[in-house]
Amino acid sequence: MTQRAELLQGTLDLLILKTLALGALHGWGISKRLQQLSNEVLEVGQGSLYPALYRLEDKGWIAADWRLTPTGRRAKFYTLSAAGRKQLATERSQWRLFSLAVEQVLTA
Amino acid sequence: MRFWRRRLHALRHGAEIDRDLDEEMRLHIELATEALQQSGALTRDEARRRALVAFGGVERYKEEHRDARRTRWIEELRQDARYATRSLIRSPAFSLSAVLVLALGIGAGTTIFGAVHAVLLTRLPYPHDERLVAISLEDSPTNRWHLSTVDFRAIEAQQHSLSSVGAMEVRHATVAVPGTDPSLEQLGFVTSGVFRALEVRPIHGRVIEAADEVVGAPRVAVVGERWALRTFGGAAGGSTQVIGQTIMIDATPHTVVGVLPTGQSQLANLHGDIWPVLQLRSPDRRGPFVLIGVGRLREDVTLDAAARDLAAISERIYPQWASSFQDRAARVAPIPLREVMLGDASRTLGLLAAAVALVLLVAVANVASLMLVRAIGRWREIVVRTMLGGTRARIARMLVTESVILAGAGAAAGLAVAALGLKALVALGPYLPRLADARLDGAMAAFAVGTALLVGGIVGASPVALLLRRDASAMGGHGSRLTGAGRRARTLRGAFVATQFALTLPLLAAAGLMLNSFVRLLRVEPGFDPRHLLVVHVALPSARYANDSAVAAYWARALPRVRQTSGVLSAGLNEVVPPREPDIDLNNFDLLDRPVPPGGAQPVSPWVASTADYFTTLGVPLVDGRLFTPADSAAAPPVVVVSHAWAMRYYPDGRAVGRRFIEGGCITCPPVTVVGVVGDVKVQGLNEAGDVIYAPVTQGWPRWLNVFVRTAGAPTEVMGRVEAALRSVDAGVPLDNAGPMEDRAYASVVQPRHWTTLLGGFAVVALGLAAVGIFGMLSYTVSTRRREIGVRMALGARGQSVVGMLVWDGMGYALAGVAVGLGVALSGTRWLADTLFSVRATDPPTLAAVTLILMAAALGACWLAARRAAAIDPVTALRLD
Repeated sequence: MTQRAELLQGTLDLLILKTLALGALHGWGISKRLQQLSNEVLEVGQGSLYPALYRLEDKGWIAADWRLTPTGRRAKFYTLSAAGRKQLATERSQWRLFSLAVEQVLTA
Repeated sequence: MRFWRRRLHALRHGAEIDRDLDEEMRLHIELATEALQQSGALTRDEARRRALVAFGGVERYKEEHRDARRTRWIEELRQDARYATRSLIRSPAFSLSAVLVLALGIGAGTTIFGAVHAVLLTRLPYPHDERLVAISLEDSPTNRWHLSTVDFRAIEAQQHSLSSVGAMEVRHATVAVPGTDPSLEQLGFVTSGVFRALEVRPIHGRVIEAADEVVGAPRVAVVGERWALRTFGGAAGGSTQVIGQTIMIDATPHTVVGVLPTGQSQLANLHGDIWPVLQLRSPDRRGPFVLIGVGRLREDVTLDAAARDLAAISERIYPQWASSFQDRAARVAPIPLREVMLGDASRTLGLLAAAVALVLLVAVANVASLMLVRAIGRWREIVVRTMLGGTRARIARMLVTESVILAGAGAAAGLAVAALGLKALVALGPYLPRLADARLDGAMAAFAVGTALLVGGIVGASPVALLLRRDASAMGGHGSRLTGAGRRARTLRGAFVATQFALTLPLLAAAGLMLNSFVRLLRVEPGFDPRHLLVVHVALPSARYANDSAVAAYWARALPRVRQTSGVLSAGLNEVVPPREPDIDLNNFDLLDRPVPPGGAQPVSPWVASTADYFTTLGVPLVDGRLFTPADSAAAPPVVVVSHAWAMRYYPDGRAVGRRFIEGGCITCPPVTVVGVVGDVKVQGLNEAGDVIYAPVTQGWPRWLNVFVRTAGAPTEVMGRVEAALRSVDAGVPLDNAGPMEDRAYASVVQPRHWTTLLGGFAVVALGLAAVGIFGMLSYTVSTRRREIGVRMALGARGQSVVGMLVWDGMGYALAGVAVGLGVALSGTRWLADTLFSVRATDPPTLAAVTLILMAAALGACWLAARRAAAIDPVTALRLD
């Protein structure tokens, strides 16, 4: 079994924005891609995705609309908005700074 | 914006969002199940189970999703409101009485707020009104008088602190437009500087300009829009047509050059329709002092700096005019225009606001104790709710919501009360400038709603504090309400009752003092018998009656005709109308046998022109010396008759006749001799001293005089004939203010009457509330102690003693309240001292009387409530529960 890591508080938003940067996805798609991109390391409580998605939509960083999946099922697809793209850039640089600092402390 | 739009959307479409979320989650689990099924070759059921586990609790995330929408509190609020409304409707007696009491309290509060808002908080209708000043002369902060032409010219030429300055003279003048009867109006004659200082712009034409002020220039006037429309027709353009029209003012033609917008026609506190130009002649002496200065401070100048600048001007002009004016201490001083316009209004409103605040607090205490009883009645319901998992916060919110809804209904009804209250205040209350402009508006509504929220919070907090104690749930099983929380509730209710009494007593005391003062005022002798006495004001236009001989000629013809009118017993002339003349002339004088040192302030006294038969007509006795005779002509040495009060003030030995004085600081004029002393007639108000100096009209005819007529029958029957007699002499003379003297005597005490009525009304409301409060408390006590009372009666206690016990129980709280209230009243009523006449603010008999009234009301209410206990049948009482 691969080792799993709990998500740090507040990083879920960043990860959702990142997965959506590659294109529109529905909820299950986001959770699948998160697992793939993290090589199955990151454990995302799949249900917790939905309140997070509502919050992001509330802030205007993502937009949602109902579309059909390739298999012909109705699903709510989320896309990154321009504001979301900007937010992703900010959060990404903040995260880098943060992780770098933590890394430095740990290796010191 | 976006935040609230989303909240609103989430609130409106909550169900839709929930459906969408369901669908999203279902799809998620379906897709996850399929993926697991394919990868691990699981059965569909097993795959679905694992998908659900991985998802981690559908319902939990749905809740989280709803929280994320942040609408939960709104939904719960809606729930609370619905529930509270239902439960209030279920007990209509409670709800109605609470709403009624709150409506009275909030309504009264909102009325006074409306008045404060209109009178004190609204700005004057001029740009940057904080820089506007009125300019007058003063030799102490309390002794102020108007400017003279000398002062005004000097200010114009020498001041450095005002961006513009003008002068206004307010006086009565006859006004006639073609085709109408002349009328006597109070007009403000103004210089161009007044318009520049106030920055008033006309809606048509122009305002008065500097060129118009030159003596001899064509006379012009500006008029108010409302007057223009009224006089020249309401049709469109009516107010433009007025430009170029001629108005006869004191029989002098004035051309209308401009129209002022409605609302700005009140120049510096004078309500007027017509503003003629003021053309000032070059002065030959320092007086007379009739001009009101109006100026606008420069932006970089403070009021203090302006005061120093203007005071320096007074110093410079003093030596030049010392021969006609000896008050060296007199200074030209700027006073903020707002202060001048509002006068005593802030004190008046302060008194009203204090009275109303007391009423509102009594109402709050009253409703709070009602809420408390209600909450105790719902004890079991609340305990059940706690047991079923209702959090303390949630139950507290439920209780507060209920009281806020009550208070909200109270505020709505209170606004209706306030709408009526404002009308009543305008009609019945003490005079306040600009009060007539007060309207029920957004600010008042906001005040009512704010008060309602506050009151709701306070009222709701008391049961919350009581019921949500730690031991609340432990009380659940017991039927008894008298242990623990029940006892606390009684103490709290007792405190509310005591509070109501403590607040009511100062109100009663204030009302009692006003009543006492008012009764004393009515007992003051005005010095004449107003029955069968008629007065008519006659104003001779200055254009046709330019000098003393013209005026004397008019009266030489008019007075005999009045005397010959049937029903007239006698007639005389006087400049003022007793018992209270608002525009009375005060004159300074210097007694020859007791001169005031140069530069000192000379005594002043009302100075009134009159005829000898004025005294005989009014029935004023001659105490000493003689009245005027025809020999006291303009050529003869000047003489006066003084009132008894004047004589006693300056010559307590009673030998005033023959004394002489210098009048008005005119040291070149011949001294005036006192030839007689007459009985006191009040002319400055019943509450003022009776000093008056009467000068004979024959030594200086005023153009405005009042004819006093003693009639055989009712004065109203003779009035028409007297007016006709006067018109037969000159139909162009406006007659004004004709009426029986009894009306004047009544009118002179209108203000104290208003105060007494108003405070009395508040006191009665508070007294009623306090009595109802203590009645309610005791009734409740009786109903909760039925068992105990039953036991007492079964053991042989008589009904009488049970009632007595309960009454003393209630009276304890009332007495505690009264004791505190007396303390408050003793320190608070000195606010009234200035309003009271010949009653001290701590008058012991009055305070004792109101205390007795309050205690009697408490005793009565207690007895009514306790009486029911005597009727309790021990058998039934013991079987209950």
